[in-house]
Amino acid sequence: MLIEPSFIHDQLSMTDLEFNICVDDYSDGVYRFILKISKNKEDTRDIVQTAFEKLWVNREKVKTLKAKSYLFTVAYHLMIDQLRKESKIIMTDSFDENANAITQGSSELKQLLLEAINNLNPTQKSLILLKDYEGYSYQEIGEIMQLSESQVKVYLHRARLILKNKLTHLEKMSA
Amino acid sequence: MINENNYETYFMSYIDNELNAAERAAVEAFVLTEPKYAAALALFEKTKLHASSNEFMEMEDKIFLYRFTEMDAKLDGDFKKSLYRKQAPVRKIIFTPNLMRASFAIAAMLILFIGLQLFKTESSISESNIVESNIVETPLKDKTTVASTNILIPAENQTLANSAIATKAITKNQTILASTNNTSNSINTNIVSSSSSQASRENDSQNIVVAKFSEGQISSTAMETMATEEEKTILPTNYKEIDTEEEDRTINIGILEIDAAAFRGITRKFSALLKRNKIEK
Repeated sequence: MLIEPSFIHDQLSMTDLEFNICVDDYSDGVYRFILKISKNKEDTRDIVQTAFEKLWVNREKVKTLKAKSYLFTVAYHLMIDQLRKESKIIMTDSFDENANAITQGSSELKQLLLEAINNLNPTQKSLILLKDYEGYSYQEIGEIMQLSESQVKVYLHRARLILKNKLTHLEKMSA
Repeated sequence: MINENNYETYFMSYIDNELNAAERAAVEAFVLTEPKYAAALALFEKTKLHASSNEFMEMEDKIFLYRFTEMDAKLDGDFKKSLYRKQAPVRKIIFTPNLMRASFAIAAMLILFIGLQLFKTESSISESNIVESNIVETPLKDKTTVASTNILIPAENQTLANSAIATKAITKNQTILASTNNTSNSINTNIVSSSSSQASRENDSQNIVVAKFSEGQISSTAMETMATEEEKTILPTNYKEIDTEEEDRTINIGILEIDAAAFRGITRKFSALLKRNKIEK
Protein backbone atom coordinates (compact mmCIF):
# COMPACT_ATOMS: atom_id res chain seq x y z
CA MET A 1 0.00 0.00 0.00
CA LEU A 2 1.37 3.38 -0.98
CA ILE A 3 1.47 6.02 1.67
CA GLU A 4 0.16 9.27 0.27
CA PRO A 5 2.64 12.16 0.33
CA SER A 6 0.20 14.20 2.39
CA PHE A 7 0.76 11.82 5.25
CA ILE A 8 4.45 12.46 5.27
CA HIS A 9 5.89 15.63 6.69
CA ASP A 10 9.14 17.04 7.77
CA GLN A 11 7.98 18.47 11.03
CA LEU A 12 8.38 17.01 14.48
CA SER A 13 7.21 13.43 14.83
CA MET A 14 4.16 12.42 16.80
CA THR A 15 4.77 12.17 20.51
CA ASP A 16 3.52 9.44 22.82
CA LEU A 17 0.84 11.75 24.13
CA GLU A 18 -0.40 12.67 20.66
CA PHE A 19 -0.50 9.05 19.67
CA ASN A 20 -2.50 8.07 22.72
CA ILE A 21 -4.89 10.95 22.06
CA CYS A 22 -5.42 9.44 18.60
CA VAL A 23 -6.29 6.20 20.31
CA ASP A 24 -8.93 7.94 22.40
CA ASP A 25 -10.38 9.88 19.47
CA TYR A 26 -10.31 7.47 16.56
CA SER A 27 -10.18 3.91 17.80
CA ASP A 28 -13.94 3.60 18.24
CA GLY A 29 -14.63 5.13 14.83
CA VAL A 30 -12.22 2.79 13.07
CA TYR A 31 -13.67 -0.13 15.02
CA ARG A 32 -17.24 0.70 14.02
CA PHE A 33 -16.32 1.22 10.40
CA ILE A 34 -14.53 -2.08 10.07
CA LEU A 35 -17.04 -4.02 12.13
CA LYS A 36 -19.98 -2.93 10.00
CA ILE A 37 -18.30 -4.35 6.94
CA SER A 38 -16.45 -7.39 8.23
CA LYS A 39 -19.09 -8.48 10.80
CA ASN A 40 -16.41 -10.25 12.79
CA LYS A 41 -15.37 -8.78 16.12
CA GLU A 42 -12.14 -10.69 16.40
CA ASP A 43 -11.00 -9.78 12.91
CA THR A 44 -12.03 -6.18 13.49
CA ARG A 45 -10.00 -5.99 16.71
CA ASP A 46 -6.99 -7.40 14.94
CA ILE A 47 -7.34 -4.90 12.13
CA VAL A 48 -7.65 -1.97 14.49
CA GLN A 49 -4.69 -3.21 16.50
CA THR A 50 -2.58 -3.53 13.36
CA ALA A 51 -3.61 -0.11 12.12
CA PHE A 52 -2.54 1.59 15.33
CA GLU A 53 0.63 -0.46 15.41
CA LYS A 54 1.52 0.79 11.96
CA LEU A 55 0.79 4.33 13.01
CA TRP A 56 3.12 3.91 15.97
CA VAL A 57 5.88 2.54 13.80
CA ASN A 58 5.46 5.38 11.31
CA ARG A 59 4.75 8.09 13.83
CA GLU A 60 7.78 10.08 12.71
CA LYS A 61 6.41 10.24 9.18
CA VAL A 62 2.70 10.82 9.80
CA LYS A 63 1.30 14.23 10.68
CA THR A 64 -0.86 14.28 13.75
CA LEU A 65 -3.64 15.98 11.78
CA LYS A 66 -3.58 13.23 9.22
CA ALA A 67 -3.56 10.42 11.74
CA LYS A 68 -7.28 9.75 11.36
CA SER A 69 -7.08 9.35 7.60
CA TYR A 70 -4.00 7.21 7.97
CA LEU A 71 -5.77 4.93 10.41
CA PHE A 72 -8.85 4.54 8.27
CA THR A 73 -6.71 3.93 5.22
CA VAL A 74 -4.68 1.23 6.85
CA ALA A 75 -7.74 -0.36 8.44
CA TYR A 76 -9.72 -0.34 5.21
CA HIS A 77 -6.97 -2.03 3.23
CA LEU A 78 -6.39 -4.58 5.91
CA MET A 79 -10.09 -5.32 5.85
CA ILE A 80 -10.14 -5.72 2.08
CA ASP A 81 -7.14 -8.03 2.26
CA GLN A 82 -8.87 -10.04 4.93
CA LEU A 83 -12.03 -10.32 2.89
CA ARG A 84 -10.12 -11.36 -0.21
CA LYS A 85 -8.24 -13.96 1.80
CA GLU A 86 -11.45 -15.39 3.10
CA SER A 87 -13.15 -14.93 -0.32
CA LYS A 88 -16.10 -13.39 1.35
CA ILE A 89 -18.64 -11.57 -0.71
CA ILE A 90 -20.80 -9.82 1.78
CA MET A 91 -24.02 -9.37 -0.07
CA THR A 92 -26.54 -11.00 2.12
CA ASP A 93 -25.16 -10.48 5.56
CA SER A 94 -27.57 -8.68 7.69
CA PHE A 95 -27.14 -5.81 10.00
CA ASP A 96 -29.66 -7.43 12.25
CA GLU A 97 -27.28 -8.18 15.04
CA ASN A 98 -25.91 -4.69 15.20
CA ALA A 99 -29.21 -3.10 14.41
CA ASN A 100 -30.95 -4.78 17.26
CA ALA A 101 -28.13 -3.99 19.61
CA ILE A 102 -27.68 -0.40 18.70
CA THR A 103 -31.07 0.77 17.40
CA GLN A 104 -33.64 -0.23 19.87
CA GLY A 105 -37.01 1.07 18.83
CA SER A 106 -35.65 2.17 15.40
CA SER A 107 -38.12 3.03 12.66
CA GLU A 108 -39.18 0.67 9.97
CA LEU A 109 -37.38 2.89 7.48
CA LYS A 110 -34.08 2.43 9.23
CA GLN A 111 -34.54 -1.29 9.26
CA LEU A 112 -35.27 -1.21 5.56
CA LEU A 113 -32.21 0.94 4.92
CA LEU A 114 -29.91 -1.30 6.86
CA GLU A 115 -31.27 -4.26 5.00
CA ALA A 116 -30.58 -2.51 1.71
CA ILE A 117 -27.01 -1.61 2.73
CA ASN A 118 -26.35 -5.27 3.39
CA ASN A 119 -26.82 -5.93 -0.26
CA LEU A 120 -23.96 -3.61 -1.27
CA ASN A 121 -20.45 -4.84 -1.97
CA PRO A 122 -17.64 -3.96 0.46
CA THR A 123 -16.46 -1.00 -1.58
CA GLN A 124 -19.90 0.55 -1.78
CA LYS A 125 -20.60 -0.17 1.84
CA SER A 126 -17.29 1.43 2.84
CA LEU A 127 -18.13 4.50 0.81
CA ILE A 128 -21.51 4.89 2.49
CA LEU A 129 -20.05 4.37 5.96
CA LEU A 130 -17.13 6.71 5.47
CA LYS A 131 -19.37 9.35 4.07
CA ASP A 132 -22.38 9.14 6.37
CA TYR A 133 -20.88 7.88 9.67
CA GLU A 134 -17.45 9.46 9.55
CA GLY A 135 -18.20 12.52 7.49
CA TYR A 136 -15.25 12.31 5.14
CA SER A 137 -15.13 14.31 1.95
CA TYR A 138 -14.82 12.74 -1.48
CA GLN A 139 -11.16 13.63 -1.46
CA GLU A 140 -10.50 12.10 1.94
CA ILE A 141 -12.40 8.97 1.04
CA GLY A 142 -10.30 8.78 -2.11
CA GLU A 143 -7.13 8.89 -0.02
CA ILE A 144 -8.36 6.18 2.24
CA MET A 145 -9.58 3.87 -0.42
CA GLN A 146 -6.94 4.69 -2.97
CA LEU A 147 -9.46 6.13 -5.43
CA SER A 148 -9.64 9.38 -7.28
CA GLU A 149 -12.20 11.96 -6.22
CA SER A 150 -14.29 11.42 -9.34
CA GLN A 151 -14.23 7.68 -8.78
CA VAL A 152 -15.47 8.16 -5.23
CA LYS A 153 -18.28 10.37 -6.49
CA VAL A 154 -19.36 7.92 -9.18
CA TYR A 155 -19.18 4.83 -6.93
CA LEU A 156 -20.98 6.57 -4.13
CA HIS A 157 -23.75 7.79 -6.36
CA ARG A 158 -24.24 4.33 -7.73
CA ALA A 159 -24.54 3.04 -4.17
CA ARG A 160 -27.14 5.66 -3.36
CA LEU A 161 -29.17 4.84 -6.44
CA ILE A 162 -29.20 1.20 -5.48
CA LEU A 163 -30.34 2.12 -2.01
CA LYS A 164 -33.02 4.42 -3.35
CA ASN A 165 -34.45 1.80 -5.67
CA LYS A 166 -34.33 -0.79 -2.91
CA LEU A 167 -36.14 1.48 -0.52
CA THR A 168 -38.80 2.28 -3.10
CA HIS A 169 -39.37 -1.37 -3.74
CA LEU A 170 -39.56 -2.26 -0.07
CA GLU A 171 -41.92 0.58 0.70
CA LYS A 172 -44.22 -0.54 -2.08
CA MET A 173 -44.17 -4.07 -0.71
CA SER A 174 -44.90 -2.98 2.80
CA ALA A 175 -47.68 -0.67 1.69
CA MET B 1 -27.47 24.11 -15.00
CA ILE B 2 -29.71 21.49 -13.37
CA ASN B 3 -32.09 19.72 -15.75
CA GLU B 4 -34.07 16.53 -16.23
CA ASN B 5 -30.95 14.55 -17.16
CA ASN B 6 -28.55 15.52 -14.40
CA TYR B 7 -30.76 16.37 -11.41
CA GLU B 8 -30.04 13.03 -9.63
CA THR B 9 -26.26 13.73 -9.57
CA TYR B 10 -26.86 17.16 -8.14
CA PHE B 11 -29.32 15.76 -5.59
CA MET B 12 -26.81 13.16 -4.35
CA SER B 13 -24.01 15.73 -4.13
CA TYR B 14 -26.47 17.95 -2.28
CA ILE B 15 -27.15 15.32 0.41
CA ASP B 16 -23.40 14.55 0.58
CA ASN B 17 -22.69 18.21 1.36
CA GLU B 18 -20.33 18.44 -1.56
CA LEU B 19 -21.94 21.48 -3.25
CA ASN B 20 -20.96 25.06 -2.68
CA ALA B 21 -23.47 27.68 -1.61
CA ALA B 22 -24.50 28.66 -5.15
CA GLU B 23 -25.02 25.10 -6.24
CA ARG B 24 -27.09 24.36 -3.17
CA ALA B 25 -29.34 27.35 -3.88
CA ALA B 26 -29.79 26.15 -7.47
CA VAL B 27 -30.87 22.70 -6.32
CA GLU B 28 -33.39 24.15 -3.86
CA ALA B 29 -34.83 26.32 -6.55
CA PHE B 30 -35.08 23.39 -9.00
CA VAL B 31 -36.94 21.29 -6.46
CA LEU B 32 -39.65 23.96 -6.21
CA THR B 33 -40.37 23.87 -9.94
CA GLU B 34 -41.87 20.35 -9.90
CA PRO B 35 -43.30 18.31 -6.98
CA LYS B 36 -41.83 15.08 -8.37
CA TYR B 37 -38.35 16.49 -7.90
CA ALA B 38 -39.08 17.26 -4.27
CA ALA B 39 -40.20 13.63 -3.76
CA ALA B 40 -37.02 12.42 -5.47
CA LEU B 41 -34.82 14.57 -3.24
CA ALA B 42 -36.67 13.29 -0.17
CA LEU B 43 -36.04 9.72 -1.29
CA PHE B 44 -32.35 10.39 -1.70
CA GLU B 45 -32.32 11.88 1.78
CA LYS B 46 -33.65 8.57 3.15
CA THR B 47 -30.61 6.73 1.76
CA LYS B 48 -28.34 8.66 4.10
CA LEU B 49 -27.30 6.86 7.31
CA HIS B 50 -27.61 8.90 10.47
CA ALA B 51 -25.54 7.70 13.38
CA SER B 52 -27.57 8.05 16.53
CA SER B 53 -26.28 7.83 20.07
CA ASN B 54 -27.60 4.29 20.29
CA GLU B 55 -25.32 3.24 17.49
CA PHE B 56 -22.21 4.32 19.31
CA MET B 57 -19.96 1.33 19.70
CA GLU B 58 -16.89 1.27 21.84
CA MET B 59 -14.00 -0.97 21.09
CA GLU B 60 -13.22 -3.43 23.85
CA ASP B 61 -9.71 -3.64 25.30
CA LYS B 62 -8.79 -0.29 23.87
CA ILE B 63 -6.12 -0.01 26.51
CA PHE B 64 -3.89 -2.33 24.49
CA LEU B 65 -3.68 0.26 21.75
CA TYR B 66 -1.83 2.75 23.90
CA ARG B 67 1.88 3.07 23.32
CA PHE B 68 4.78 4.56 25.22
CA THR B 69 8.32 5.22 24.11
CA GLU B 70 9.67 2.97 26.86
CA MET B 71 8.09 0.04 25.05
CA ASP B 72 10.70 0.38 22.33
CA ALA B 73 13.58 0.55 24.75
CA LYS B 74 16.45 -1.76 23.93
CA LEU B 75 19.38 -2.93 25.96
CA ASP B 76 22.80 -1.52 25.32
CA GLY B 77 24.82 -3.94 23.16
CA ASP B 78 27.76 -4.21 25.56
CA PHE B 79 25.49 -4.77 28.52
CA LYS B 80 23.60 -7.43 26.59
CA LYS B 81 26.84 -9.23 25.81
CA SER B 82 27.68 -9.29 29.50
CA LEU B 83 24.49 -11.25 30.17
CA TYR B 84 25.54 -14.18 28.06
CA ARG B 85 26.81 -17.22 29.89
CA LYS B 86 28.98 -19.97 28.57
CA GLN B 87 28.28 -23.50 29.49
CA ALA B 88 31.07 -25.03 31.50
CA PRO B 89 32.99 -27.53 29.42
CA VAL B 90 32.04 -31.03 30.22
CA ARG B 91 35.04 -33.02 31.31
CA LYS B 92 35.26 -36.18 29.41
CA ILE B 93 37.07 -39.11 30.86
CA ILE B 94 38.84 -40.82 28.03
CA PHE B 95 39.32 -44.39 28.91
CA THR B 96 42.77 -45.32 27.78
CA PRO B 97 43.68 -48.99 27.83
CA ASN B 98 45.81 -48.51 30.95
CA LEU B 99 43.02 -46.73 32.73
CA MET B 100 40.56 -49.42 31.76
CA ARG B 101 42.89 -52.15 33.07
CA ALA B 102 43.34 -50.25 36.32
CA SER B 103 39.58 -49.73 36.65
CA PHE B 104 38.87 -53.41 36.15
CA ALA B 105 41.57 -54.37 38.65
CA ILE B 106 40.20 -52.04 41.28
CA ALA B 107 36.65 -53.23 40.66
CA ALA B 108 37.76 -56.86 41.03
CA MET B 109 39.59 -56.05 44.28
CA LEU B 110 36.56 -54.28 45.61
CA ILE B 111 34.28 -57.19 44.83
CA LEU B 112 36.68 -59.60 46.48
CA PHE B 113 36.98 -57.43 49.52
CA ILE B 114 33.23 -57.08 49.88
CA GLY B 115 32.84 -60.80 49.44
CA LEU B 116 35.37 -61.51 52.15
CA GLN B 117 33.72 -59.10 54.51
CA LEU B 118 30.39 -60.73 53.87
CA PHE B 119 31.86 -64.14 54.57
CA LYS B 120 33.39 -62.91 57.80
CA THR B 121 30.15 -61.32 58.87
CA GLU B 122 28.19 -64.48 58.31
CA SER B 123 30.63 -66.62 60.22
CA SER B 124 30.74 -64.25 63.15
CA ILE B 125 26.96 -64.20 63.40
CA SER B 126 26.78 -67.97 63.49
CA GLU B 127 29.42 -68.19 66.20
CA SER B 128 27.90 -65.62 68.43
CA ASN B 129 24.73 -67.62 68.85
CA ILE B 130 26.49 -70.26 70.86
CA VAL B 131 27.42 -69.52 74.40
CA GLU B 132 30.38 -71.28 75.84
CA SER B 133 32.18 -70.88 78.94
CA ASN B 134 35.63 -71.68 77.95
CA ILE B 135 37.82 -73.01 80.56
CA VAL B 136 41.30 -72.69 79.38
CA GLU B 137 44.13 -74.28 81.19
CA THR B 138 47.42 -72.66 80.73
CA PRO B 139 50.38 -74.20 82.44
CA LEU B 140 52.31 -71.93 84.73
CA LYS B 141 55.65 -72.32 86.45
CA ASP B 142 54.42 -74.13 89.45
CA LYS B 143 51.68 -76.01 87.80
CA THR B 144 49.10 -73.62 88.63
CA THR B 145 46.29 -73.13 86.36
CA VAL B 146 44.43 -70.20 85.60
CA ALA B 147 40.85 -70.60 85.13
CA SER B 148 39.28 -68.05 83.15
CA THR B 149 36.10 -67.74 81.54
CA ASN B 150 34.54 -65.55 79.13
CA ILE B 151 31.96 -63.53 80.66
CA LEU B 152 29.17 -63.45 78.29
CA ILE B 153 26.37 -61.03 78.27
CA PRO B 154 22.96 -62.30 77.47
CA ALA B 155 21.68 -61.46 74.05
CA GLU B 156 18.46 -59.69 73.34
CA ASN B 157 15.77 -60.79 75.62
CA GLN B 158 12.35 -61.44 74.54
CA THR B 159 10.66 -60.79 77.80
CA LEU B 160 11.05 -58.02 80.31
CA ALA B 161 11.69 -60.57 83.02
CA ASN B 162 14.65 -61.94 81.19
CA SER B 163 16.02 -58.51 80.54
CA ALA B 164 15.74 -57.64 84.19
CA ILE B 165 17.58 -60.76 85.16
CA ALA B 166 20.19 -60.09 82.53
CA THR B 167 20.75 -56.64 83.96
CA LYS B 168 21.23 -58.11 87.37
CA ALA B 169 23.66 -60.63 86.00
CA ILE B 170 25.73 -57.96 84.42
CA THR B 171 25.94 -56.06 87.61
CA LYS B 172 26.76 -59.13 89.54
CA ASN B 173 29.48 -60.17 87.22
CA GLN B 174 32.26 -58.33 88.63
CA THR B 175 35.91 -58.90 88.40
CA ILE B 176 36.92 -61.99 90.04
CA LEU B 177 38.93 -61.39 93.00
CA ALA B 178 41.32 -63.87 93.99
CA SER B 179 43.48 -63.14 96.85
CA THR B 180 45.90 -65.48 98.12
CA ASN B 181 47.46 -65.52 101.32
CA ASN B 182 51.01 -66.57 101.44
CA THR B 183 50.79 -67.97 104.88
CA SER B 184 47.52 -69.75 104.77
CA ASN B 185 47.60 -70.75 101.12
CA SER B 186 43.95 -70.22 100.94
CA ILE B 187 42.07 -69.21 98.03
CA ASN B 188 39.31 -66.90 98.18
CA THR B 189 36.96 -67.36 95.51
CA ASN B 190 34.00 -65.48 94.64
CA ILE B 191 31.19 -67.25 93.31
CA VAL B 192 29.69 -65.27 90.64
CA SER B 193 26.30 -65.97 89.52
CA SER B 194 25.22 -65.03 86.17
CA SER B 195 21.86 -64.69 84.75
CA SER B 196 19.56 -67.12 83.14
CA SER B 197 19.80 -67.99 79.57
CA GLN B 198 17.44 -67.10 76.93
CA ALA B 199 17.76 -69.87 74.41
CA SER B 200 17.67 -72.77 76.81
CA ARG B 201 14.55 -72.44 78.77
CA GLU B 202 15.27 -75.43 81.05
CA ASN B 203 18.06 -73.62 82.84
CA ASP B 204 17.10 -70.66 84.89
CA SER B 205 20.45 -69.84 86.27
CA GLN B 206 23.93 -70.79 85.85
CA ASN B 207 26.58 -70.64 88.39
CA ILE B 208 29.96 -70.06 87.23
CA VAL B 209 32.68 -70.60 89.57
CA VAL B 210 35.56 -68.50 88.80
CA ALA B 211 38.77 -68.50 90.41
CA LYS B 212 41.77 -66.65 89.66
CA PHE B 213 44.99 -67.72 91.01
CA SER B 214 48.12 -65.92 91.29
CA GLU B 215 51.31 -67.49 90.30
CA GLY B 216 53.11 -69.69 92.76
CA GLN B 217 50.77 -69.29 95.64
CA ILE B 218 48.32 -72.00 95.34
CA SER B 219 48.87 -75.59 96.16
CA SER B 220 48.16 -78.17 93.62
CA THR B 221 45.82 -80.02 95.89
CA ALA B 222 43.66 -76.99 96.20
CA MET B 223 43.64 -76.77 92.51
CA GLU B 224 42.60 -80.33 92.11
CA THR B 225 39.78 -79.72 94.49
CA MET B 226 38.79 -76.84 92.48
CA ALA B 227 38.86 -78.85 89.35
CA THR B 228 36.68 -81.61 90.75
CA GLU B 229 34.28 -79.27 92.35
CA GLU B 230 33.97 -77.22 89.29
CA GLU B 231 30.91 -77.86 87.39
CA LYS B 232 31.57 -78.07 83.78
CA THR B 233 28.10 -78.14 82.54
CA ILE B 234 27.86 -76.12 79.48
CA LEU B 235 24.41 -75.07 78.79
CA PRO B 236 23.68 -73.55 75.47
CA THR B 237 22.30 -70.12 75.75
CA ASN B 238 21.97 -67.27 73.42
CA TYR B 239 24.45 -64.64 74.17
CA LYS B 240 25.90 -61.98 72.06
CA GLU B 241 29.49 -61.08 72.40
CA ILE B 242 30.28 -57.45 72.73
CA ASP B 243 33.56 -56.41 71.29
CA THR B 244 34.69 -53.71 73.58
CA GLU B 245 38.27 -53.69 72.49
CA GLU B 246 38.29 -51.30 69.67
CA GLU B 247 36.02 -48.82 67.99
CA ASP B 248 33.75 -50.15 65.28
CA ARG B 249 34.80 -48.71 61.96
CA THR B 250 32.63 -50.31 59.43
CA ILE B 251 30.72 -48.78 56.59
CA ASN B 252 27.28 -50.25 56.18
CA ILE B 253 25.99 -50.34 52.65
CA GLY B 254 22.67 -52.13 52.77
CA ILE B 255 23.46 -55.52 54.21
CA LEU B 256 27.14 -55.18 53.44
CA GLU B 257 29.62 -54.20 56.06
CA ILE B 258 32.80 -52.80 54.63
CA ASP B 259 35.85 -51.86 56.59
CA ALA B 260 36.14 -48.12 56.40
CA ALA B 261 39.92 -47.94 56.36
CA ALA B 262 40.24 -50.49 53.57
CA PHE B 263 37.57 -48.80 51.52
CA ARG B 264 39.25 -45.44 51.89
CA GLY B 265 42.53 -46.94 50.71
CA ILE B 266 40.90 -48.32 47.58
CA THR B 267 39.23 -45.05 46.69
CA ARG B 268 42.51 -43.18 47.13
CA LYS B 269 44.22 -45.54 44.74
CA PHE B 270 41.51 -45.07 42.17
CA SER B 271 41.62 -41.29 42.32
CA ALA B 272 45.42 -41.38 42.05
CA LEU B 273 45.10 -43.45 38.87
CA LEU B 274 42.66 -40.93 37.41
CA LYS B 275 45.01 -38.04 38.18
CA ARG B 276 47.86 -39.89 36.56
CA ASN B 277 45.78 -40.35 33.48
CA LYS B 278 45.09 -36.64 33.26
CA ILE B 279 48.78 -35.75 33.65
CA GLU B 280 49.66 -38.16 30.85
CA LYS B 281 47.37 -36.28 28.54
